[in-house]
Amino acid sequence: MTKTYPKASRPSLDNVSVSIEKGEFVFFIGPSGSGKSTIIKLLLHEVAPNKGRVVVNSKDVTSMRSWKRPHFRRSIGCVFQDFRLLPNRTAYENVAFALEVIGKTKAVARRVVPEVLELVGLGGKEHRYPHELSGGEQQRVAVARAFVNRPLILLADEPTGNLDPDTSIEIMRLLDRINRTGTTVVMVTHDSNIVNQMRRRVIEIESGRIVRDQARGVYG
Amino acid sequence: MRVKYVLSEVLVGLWRNVTMTIAMIITMAVSLTMLGASGLMYRQVDDMKDLYYKNIQVSIFLDQEVSPEQRDALAAKLEGDPLVKESIYVNKDEAYKRFQEMFQDAPDLLSAVKADSLPESFRLTLNNPEQYKSIYDQYKEAEGVDEIVDQSRLLDKIFDILTSIQNIALAAAIVMAIAALLLVANTIQVAAYSKRREVAVMKLVGASNWFIQAPFVLEAVVAGLIGSLLGLVALIAAKYLLFDGSLQALQGLLSPIGWGDILVVFPLMAGVGGVVSAVTAWVTLRFYLRV
Repeated sequence: MTKTYPKASRPSLDNVSVSIEKGEFVFFIGPSGSGKSTIIKLLLHEVAPNKGRVVVNSKDVTSMRSWKRPHFRRSIGCVFQDFRLLPNRTAYENVAFALEVIGKTKAVARRVVPEVLELVGLGGKEHRYPHELSGGEQQRVAVARAFVNRPLILLADEPTGNLDPDTSIEIMRLLDRINRTGTTVVMVTHDSNIVNQMRRRVIEIESGRIVRDQARGVYG
Repeated sequence: MRVKYVLSEVLVGLWRNVTMTIAMIITMAVSLTMLGASGLMYRQVDDMKDLYYKNIQVSIFLDQEVSPEQRDALAAKLEGDPLVKESIYVNKDEAYKRFQEMFQDAPDLLSAVKADSLPESFRLTLNNPEQYKSIYDQYKEAEGVDEIVDQSRLLDKIFDILTSIQNIALAAAIVMAIAALLLVANTIQVAAYSKRREVAVMKLVGASNWFIQAPFVLEAVVAGLIGSLLGLVALIAAKYLLFDGSLQALQGLLSPIGWGDILVVFPLMAGVGGVVSAVTAWVTLRFYLRV
């Protein structure tokens, strides 16, 4: 598919074709502005391609009506470099919020949220506010929020971009654990250390084209 | 749970931006008061038209030296006229009696007028009061006729005044409504901005559009409804202070405004207030949140 942003001189993604299987762990790497983040946006249906199709969970979402988007997004979890937590809510409330706004009851939240916070290694810190947590812990809350609804796909846009190397590795272990539950993980990153350690499929993008697609790849 | 969530968000939203909320409610209230007043005026004018036109009369005053033959001829002609519903002959004595009744509080005036100085007349009730003109043309030149006076001419002036007051109120209502509309749009933008993080997360995790928008739209609707309630209070106050108070002298002229009239106008005000706020908020969100 091809995606050109209005006013851009060249396409952000130029005739790119990628297929990711269920349960895979995929890194998208490449320099800034190469089009990595556009992939995330296309998968989230935040933008639509100019040419070609985007198929998620065997559903063609290319021409999905915008009113169907919310429901579609419930099958995708998202983690970002800047965590995007609500500062006036505790870790527990941040995760519960994601459930409540899609119509889950408080009873469901009381059952599920502690479980997922335990899974991400935040047991005992449920009632801390984001500013009382370290960067790594905040990202764990974000992962918990992305995962609490048991999505089929977890999208991570430079999730370790704001973290030191040790903390980054902890977050990667967490993503790996989530991947092993059968969740497809798609991660965009610059972090060569992590890519080299994980040894998963690596897709390198440069100027909107795929220049490498390698199983068990390294940063290169 | 979700209803409770939405309602608490509405209250928090209104309170967070309380000066703006107050400004919004006040403009809304003034606009809706004007709208209500012009609605009342409309009903009022209608009522009065019914009331007055039913009783309206055209008087044909006769010359002082009218002959009985001329008078009888005129009476016969009026009797056969299809435009005339009823024609009553008033002779000099009766005219004087009516005059005495009308001015019983002014003995000086009474003593200055002699019994036979008042002209004889025919008092006509027309089938259609608006056909005064053809009556006038037909009988103006008839022998023995001195003058033809149409009461509806006087009333038309009063109705003109009432109608222009009504138009002014309506114009004020529209101008204030535009101000209220802009304030609603602005308040909703501020509210959406102050909740941008929540909204971003909600969009991300797939909260439905109505769920994201409902608190904002309801915030505007609640403000609109409070505005219409204040407008109702203002109308009730106006009835007490103006119509039952300083304008009471005009009671005989203006048909009274009942509580029923005000209660009929209120749903109009509340409906307009609520719908205008809701639509404005919704449109603002379409642009601002792009959900």
